[in-house]
Amino acid sequence: MVIRVENLIKKYDERTALDGLNFTVEDGDIYGFLGPNGAGKTTTIRILTGIIRADSGQVIIEGHDVFREIMEVKRLVNALPESNGYYEWMTAYEYIEFFSNLYEEKKSKQGILKLLDDVGLNGKEGHLIRSFSRGMKQRLGIARALINRPKLLFLDEPTNGLDPKGRRDIHDLLIDLNQKQGTTIFLSTHLLDDVERLCNRIAILNYGKIVRAGDLREMKGKGTIEDIFFLSTKEGAQ
Amino acid sequence: MKTIYIMQKEIRESVLTPKGFLWYILTSIILSVLSYLFLTNSELSLLDQGQMLYMIMNFVTALGILIGLIFGADAFAGEIERGTLESLLLSPVNKTEVAMGKLGAALINWGIIFAISLPYLFVVCKGGQNLLFGIVYLAILGTLLTITFSAFSMGLSARIKSMKNSLIISFFIFLLAGSPIFLSAALRGTWFGRILDLINPFADAINTFDSVVIDNQGFGYQTGRVAIICGYTLLSLWFLKRSVSRLEM
Repeated sequence: MVIRVENLIKKYDERTALDGLNFTVEDGDIYGFLGPNGAGKTTTIRILTGIIRADSGQVIIEGHDVFREIMEVKRLVNALPESNGYYEWMTAYEYIEFFSNLYEEKKSKQGILKLLDDVGLNGKEGHLIRSFSRGMKQRLGIARALINRPKLLFLDEPTNGLDPKGRRDIHDLLIDLNQKQGTTIFLSTHLLDDVERLCNRIAILNYGKIVRAGDLREMKGKGTIEDIFFLSTKEGAQ
Repeated sequence: MKTIYIMQKEIRESVLTPKGFLWYILTSIILSVLSYLFLTNSELSLLDQGQMLYMIMNFVTALGILIGLIFGADAFAGEIERGTLESLLLSPVNKTEVAMGKLGAALINWGIIFAISLPYLFVVCKGGQNLLFGIVYLAILGTLLTITFSAFSMGLSARIKSMKNSLIISFFIFLLAGSPIFLSAALRGTWFGRILDLINPFADAINTFDSVVIDNQGFGYQTGRVAIICGYTLLSLWFLKRSVSRLEM
């Protein structure tokens, strides 16, 4: 088991963002974390990656307690946040080099170039990030998230705002990562296309609670993914 | 070591860019104008060299504080608004290391401004009896004040998380800190001016400069004021550490 979340609660003032969340993610999964806007997807990822604190509950990632051993967890996982900003004045190479320096095991020049090549940015290493399209920036963000060869990769709405080709490219990249490198992927999204194409297991979140979870193929036997999503979020609202 | 990499990144971003360079060009222009006036203006050239030294030291220190405050205001709020802080914190660095890297960059900036001011100090105050003492005090107190105001402003930036509001508060603090320069002698004599002087580490610094370069007083006379400035520095560092440890996106 890569992730075990038990009774996770997070409140922002009076508003409950996560209301006793429980789920597990298995090794090798592409785990779709679905939910409408404001359901608590980003909050969950931020807690799981140690960016914010939970009010209560327990999160175990790769056997480490996130609330006590966050540095160990950060060495094993990585993430691409939803609103990922870039140091636009850097080149793609400098950007990866800077983040690589923050890990114990720094990447060599060859290692950085290979990483950029892996995400389809070969030949772009000397280009300033400010000249990149949104799709290229997402690729660079994924390259940054792969610096430490994470066993577990969190992606928060990675295809948001991309054109169909950009989305397809990111899908291919993630499938490749999962199948060839065995990276477990935790994919937060509200785009059902992404889920159908990529995920083997999903959880549907609504108002800070998991309203449905399980194997995607089994669920699809009971209807389309769209039907399942709308039915689940409607039930959750009631 | 991670602190060094973050500091390098900050220096590249804010110092080694055309915008960053503008600070130094402006500093040079203002110091050139001041020096020219000190040496050529019929009234100013009559000033004692100690007084010229004192005025340039005040200006350079105030500039160090201003830049420290601006660096500090941008430190966390700016990164949050640009969406870059989250990826930084996803790396195995803690928030204190990030803060120390940013503080280090603010200090490097102060060091460059101090270095730019040296030739002007030597030319304008050449032969002045307390020039070297003045430069030593400027280096020490300027560094302490840059740490104090940068750390305070960074702490605010981490708490407020809004670049605009952090900058407004920082400029307000700069006006209060600069009250010995901005307020007239009459206003400084009122209860308000006296309270500002009492709680203001910048006032302690310029009173120390006055005591060293104009009144020729030794270190024994300065210990109280220097101790107060050191106290403010420690307090600001504590405030920064506490603010960043509570920082949430």
